[in-house]
Amino acid sequence: MANFANSTLATTRAYGRPMPKAWRYALSYAVLLPLLLLVHLPLLWMIITAFKAPGYGTKLEFIPRAGEAMYTLENFRQVFFDKDFPFYRFAWNSLVVATGCAVVTVAICTMAGYAFAKKRFPGRDLLFAGLITIMLVPGIIFMVPQYRLVLKFGWINTYLGMILPHTANIFGLFLLRQHIRGLPDSLLEAARVDGASEIGTFFRIVVPLSVPVMITLFLLTFVGQWSNFLWQLIVNTPDSPHLTLPVGLSLFQGQYQTEWEKMMAGACFSILPIAVLFTVAQRFFIQGLTAGSVKE
Amino acid sequence: MSILTLSGNGRPHKRPLWLYYDAIWGYVFIVPFLLVAAVFLIFPIAYSFYLSFRETWLYSNWFDQFADMRYVGFRNYVDLLRNPQFWWALVATFVYALLVIPTSIAASLALALFLNTRLPGYRALRSAFFLPHVFDVFVVGIIWLLLYNPQIGPFAEFFRWLGVEWFKKHGFVDNPYTILPSIAFAMVLKGMGFGMILFLTALNNIPDSIFEAAEIDGANARQKLFYVTIPLLRPMILFMSVTGLVGVLNAFAEFYAMTKATGGVAFQFLGATVQAARVSGFYLYQLFSDAFYGHAAAMSFILLLIGLVITWVNFRILGKEA
Repeated sequence: MANFANSTLATTRAYGRPMPKAWRYALSYAVLLPLLLLVHLPLLWMIITAFKAPGYGTKLEFIPRAGEAMYTLENFRQVFFDKDFPFYRFAWNSLVVATGCAVVTVAICTMAGYAFAKKRFPGRDLLFAGLITIMLVPGIIFMVPQYRLVLKFGWINTYLGMILPHTANIFGLFLLRQHIRGLPDSLLEAARVDGASEIGTFFRIVVPLSVPVMITLFLLTFVGQWSNFLWQLIVNTPDSPHLTLPVGLSLFQGQYQTEWEKMMAGACFSILPIAVLFTVAQRFFIQGLTAGSVKE
Repeated sequence: MSILTLSGNGRPHKRPLWLYYDAIWGYVFIVPFLLVAAVFLIFPIAYSFYLSFRETWLYSNWFDQFADMRYVGFRNYVDLLRNPQFWWALVATFVYALLVIPTSIAASLALALFLNTRLPGYRALRSAFFLPHVFDVFVVGIIWLLLYNPQIGPFAEFFRWLGVEWFKKHGFVDNPYTILPSIAFAMVLKGMGFGMILFLTALNNIPDSIFEAAEIDGANARQKLFYVTIPLLRPMILFMSVTGLVGVLNAFAEFYAMTKATGGVAFQFLGATVQAARVSGFYLYQLFSDAFYGHAAAMSFILLLIGLVITWVNFRILGKEA
């Protein structure tokens, strides 16, 4: 009687009598574990290939014969300090761009989210509706005019050119506004009665109560900009000192088509930090996505 | 301070004073966001429209092409609509959307249903399936290029082991027939964990009493799935279709990576040579990087219209539900 509420696919027999629990679990694992392996095949393949000695990356062999040096750390060292494609620089640039963009995004979205949630000013709802509409158009259409602006401002090959155009994150504004709207008005009024200034109310009441959502937005922006390939490709010329990981890897690929071991070592520098970050902070990732996607 | 200036101008106040004060602070707090949005989001839409009626020409000032574009009227739009490459970009995008969106939704839903139970280790499994979603699309695309390699990749070898030699000879992303399904397969695997989380949230919002009522009425598992669960998940399915469509219009990095920046192998379409995987986003990039800024702006505007139509349909359908 008790456990049918959660039983959905493949968990009860067609005529309604519950399957034994052990069978259900075995069936689920039989489907999920091979699928999990397939989903993570790129990750596994990348790591294995990155550790292989030159020439072995193209062979479907994994267990070295006696005395055979099949695995090495050399690829990582070479790629990291490569003269033409220095991955330590690419990684640093990616870190600067992703962090910079996330910090600015969180700052301006929290401020604007507070205003849209708690302040009354003429044009507020119209403005908000207009911004939400922009969120629904495909972002790639901003490429040409944004490029022109960055060109005009002289921001080609700069961090600023990579960071600033993507900081007006409307999804982030929506996320923060929804959260701040849920904070009780009485708290803000109490602060006002106690003589707190507007700035003081914002920093002492609104910000501390919004920290989890701000972390979520920070992480989503960070991961998004870490992987923002198209924009970083077009605002950098190939000789730019500020190339990021995906753009660097793309140039590296153009040069060393067949050196898969080194290419995968380069890929590790992009994938593994994000995997670690996600594992440490997954609560915030999933929280933000569910909060943002469930309308109402 | 703002109170003084406001009350000092002699106008009678009908609203309480603090409301003006509040409004001014409201503007102060939105200014940074609005400034960036105005420069990098709102102005570009108007500017794109302006550019779409202009084009660079042979004698454009090479150092400031944008400032030296000729007015060409509707020429850019007409050029695009008469170009088979443009139509193939739309067809390829549509085919790719058909391959990727229904599959993603079905796979995500199935995963969510499997992991909506208290299966031992379900938390770890959910996280593990979600993980690839946060990886860099471009880098993942490069890894898939290795996996799909007909000489050295595991997939061609696997199919040969099954007795299918075709992929060993023609590859996965090296022929026009399997390139779009191959890219779609890679992207479905990458994104299904994200959809799973959305469906798990939606499933969580369905009250248990509805399933209990169905159970009492004698519904079996399959009936519950098709007559209770899926109809109740309809808003989420629609939401995922719409965001999926906008995502497909934006798709670029995976195609750039898996076609080595070419757009894929060439084949004949409406009497012209087209690249098999040159979807709309890629086509837009190509127009842009060939310095056809006016054509690129016109293409942007067409994509904008397609995006707005999708959004409008979404609101119509979702509006009816609510």
